[in-house]
Amino acid sequence: MNWKKTIRISFVLFLLIIQSLFLIAILLEHQRTTFIPIFVIFISIALTITYLRAPLHHEEHTYEHVFVALWIPVGALCSYYINNILHLGPVMAAGMVGTSASFLPNLNKRSHYLKQLPPAFYCGAFIGMSSTKVASSMLFILAASIFTGMLMILSKSLFSGLGGKLGVLAFAGVTITSLIFFLIF
Amino acid sequence: MSVLILFIVSFAAAISTFYVNEHLKQGPVRSSAFLSLTIAIFFFLFPKLLSPYLTTNIPVVFIGSSFIGMVSARLVSNYFLIGAAGLVFCTVYLNTSSFFNGYGGALGTSAAISLLAVLSLPILKASGKFTNGFHLLRKIVFNRKLRK
Repeated sequence: MNWKKTIRISFVLFLLIIQSLFLIAILLEHQRTTFIPIFVIFISIALTITYLRAPLHHEEHTYEHVFVALWIPVGALCSYYINNILHLGPVMAAGMVGTSASFLPNLNKRSHYLKQLPPAFYCGAFIGMSSTKVASSMLFILAASIFTGMLMILSKSLFSGLGGKLGVLAFAGVTITSLIFFLIF
Repeated sequence: MSVLILFIVSFAAAISTFYVNEHLKQGPVRSSAFLSLTIAIFFFLFPKLLSPYLTTNIPVVFIGSSFIGMVSARLVSNYFLIGAAGLVFCTVYLNTSSFFNGYGGALGTSAAISLLAVLSLPILKASGKFTNGFHLLRKIVFNRKLRK
């Protein structure tokens, strides 16, 4: 097994673990109900089938350019500022950052680089949607952006075209940072 | 009633984002962000139009479900499946663990889980790997409907 394949499999497993944790948390909180545990079990089975059988990944593993991922902290800080400093709320923050970023390719329609920036900004905007209870400072947002950026670089050819991929990356970045901050501070 | 409205919003958000993304060729980021921003501005300007519960939750459900509509037509182009993923998303959203409240990206994770779950339907249908029990159940249900 070559190292690219190892990275690919490890990354897919990592995202599966993140999503499983999310579902397990729902399951634990709704143990006494009937519908939710059944629903979560069905979702988990369906998720496993898709992971194993759907054409979600390109065979050729490629990496996102580091200069694209660099814009994640910018999107995150802008979104965090609008959300928690201007108090306009997370949806308004992500909407403003995403809408503004989506017009960046119009600056130069021939630029391949500019076309890749809106997803990076929008991914950052999701980090900035965190509440102050989770992300207490700009330092947290920067750290989460760095982790998310690293994940984005690794995952260019994985889950391509899947809605929610950017959110999963942001969530993974925020979760890792929360754990590290919890252990350190 | 409020929950039903959230389900309708979720269904509509996923489908409308996909329509703007694929048919109006606006790209996934603009379709999701612009539509969500419009909804957020609307409820920002008219905060007392609906109940506080709906005013708070409709924009959040909308943006979360709009992530589903960002999907590429290469993976799924069936509006019914996208709408179904929106409904699954709303169920996940309404029952999300309070542990992850305020975590950035939690909505995207719910959207990805919902979409991945719904993407298993075409796989099951194509491979014909329904169990015999499922076929019998389907036969019973549809035969009953025909008799009525």
